[in-house]
Amino acid sequence: MKPNIKNAVMGLVTPVALFGLLAFNPAQAREPFTKAELADQEQELLVVVDHGRDLWHGSKPSMTTNGLACGNCHPDAAGSNPQTFPKFQADLGRVIPIRDMINWCIQVPQGGQPLDVNGEDMVAMEAYATYMYRGEKIQPGLATKQTAPVVVKSGRGYPWKGSGVGYDK
Amino acid sequence: MTDFDKISRRDFLTISGKAGLATLMASAVGVNFGMVHVAEAAVGKGNVTPFRFAILTDAHLFSMPDHKFDAQMADAVDKVMSMKPLPDFVVYCGDIAQNGKDDQLRKGMKILSKLTMPVHYIPGEHDWYLDMGAAWRGHFGSPTWSFDHKGVHFIGMNSILVRDFWTAAGMSAEERMGVMEMLESPIAGPWGVREEQLDWLKKDVKKLAPDTPVVVFTHSPLWDYYPRWNFQTEDAPEIRQILSKFERVMAFHGHVHQTVYNKIGNLSSVGTLSTSWPWPYPDVKLPYPDMQMYRSDPAIFTDGDGAQHIDLESNFSGVMQYDPFGDMLTPAMKNGFKI
Repeated sequence: MKPNIKNAVMGLVTPVALFGLLAFNPAQAREPFTKAELADQEQELLVVVDHGRDLWHGSKPSMTTNGLACGNCHPDAAGSNPQTFPKFQADLGRVIPIRDMINWCIQVPQGGQPLDVNGEDMVAMEAYATYMYRGEKIQPGLATKQTAPVVVKSGRGYPWKGSGVGYDK
Repeated sequence: MTDFDKISRRDFLTISGKAGLATLMASAVGVNFGMVHVAEAAVGKGNVTPFRFAILTDAHLFSMPDHKFDAQMADAVDKVMSMKPLPDFVVYCGDIAQNGKDDQLRKGMKILSKLTMPVHYIPGEHDWYLDMGAAWRGHFGSPTWSFDHKGVHFIGMNSILVRDFWTAAGMSAEERMGVMEMLESPIAGPWGVREEQLDWLKKDVKKLAPDTPVVVFTHSPLWDYYPRWNFQTEDAPEIRQILSKFERVMAFHGHVHQTVYNKIGNLSSVGTLSTSWPWPYPDVKLPYPDMQMYRSDPAIFTDGDGAQHIDLESNFSGVMQYDPFGDMLTPAMKNGFKI
């Protein structure tokens, strides 16, 4: 029987490589990211979220031919439910990620040109919707209610003296 | 700074006469509000002659021709015209236009001209903030009115007045309108009817007996439903206080594009279906959860939209009936509900 030289070599090389990683990877010596790095990353994310918010509210004319923007039906991204994707979409007859749902909305109710599914604009749209739903439980496939699953607790941006009747006391 | 025209009662009769004329022109058959005022002495709970009225609202018409919202508004008009019996009148609860443009208002008037009964109008924010209501008032007269009909006192007010956020910011009229078009925009601050209309309301109801049936129309709800989306009216507490002397008050509002109901003291508050698109419900506990309509199908543009009508009985009980284009009413709403 011919000896398997390749396996023998790999048997030697792999432990050496692993040892090298464990011994010299500086990431093992501290927290994965410093607070400053995390803050920078959050800021990078928020720039993209902000771009997504603009797109969501009509900043890209090619996304509509009838004047409608995503925000018309989905204020604060309400009812978009990114935490429930991928899921079966009855109108398309298959399981889709939210980017396909976003493009469906752009093409059908808005009569616009779809976004490149791998482009920066689509990432921004997903970032905005997902950010608005941060903290929500991930439940792929859930047939969602039409309500907005998040109450926007901050960002009213103006002083408010509630009237005592309702939910914003 | 409110943009409300301060008007005396005598002036009001004149202005509302003009509004009546606009209605007449829009609907072929009109009733002059001023003339209806003559019947005021007959108002009282025991004097209600049963009748029906309908509410249409929130068409959000765009300027481009043959827009789907034009057809949806026309479908709602057809719904009203196929009602048996026909309503005595229709109240339009605001937002005919999307961007406040005169051509959008004119298009709406043309579609509504198929209604053979009088139409009474109040404005929404989308009608108003391009020219501060100039075009709207040119067509419909004062946004603040009252009239009596078959023993019931009807009131309409402009509830979308905000504090001046545009002058200091140096905004153009279009930029101001753009801010107001966004539902969740925090820039404009809360809406209200403001002092002059509150004063007018006090005077308007001063001589009415407590058993007078009163119905109020505003674009926004008279309670804090979800202030972030202006599902509220800042001075609603003052309005409710002024109307607290009445045994019962029915309030109807547009803006929310959905079925919703609440009861606050003597006041029943009822939301209305738009003819354009349904808003999602905010994530708050509804006071009457049975009045939350089913999820609409985004692939069917008319689903979640429609008209509505109200039948008032002789004892001033009312039955609210939503008339949706699709099948989206819960059993509690399907065959109408008492308000």
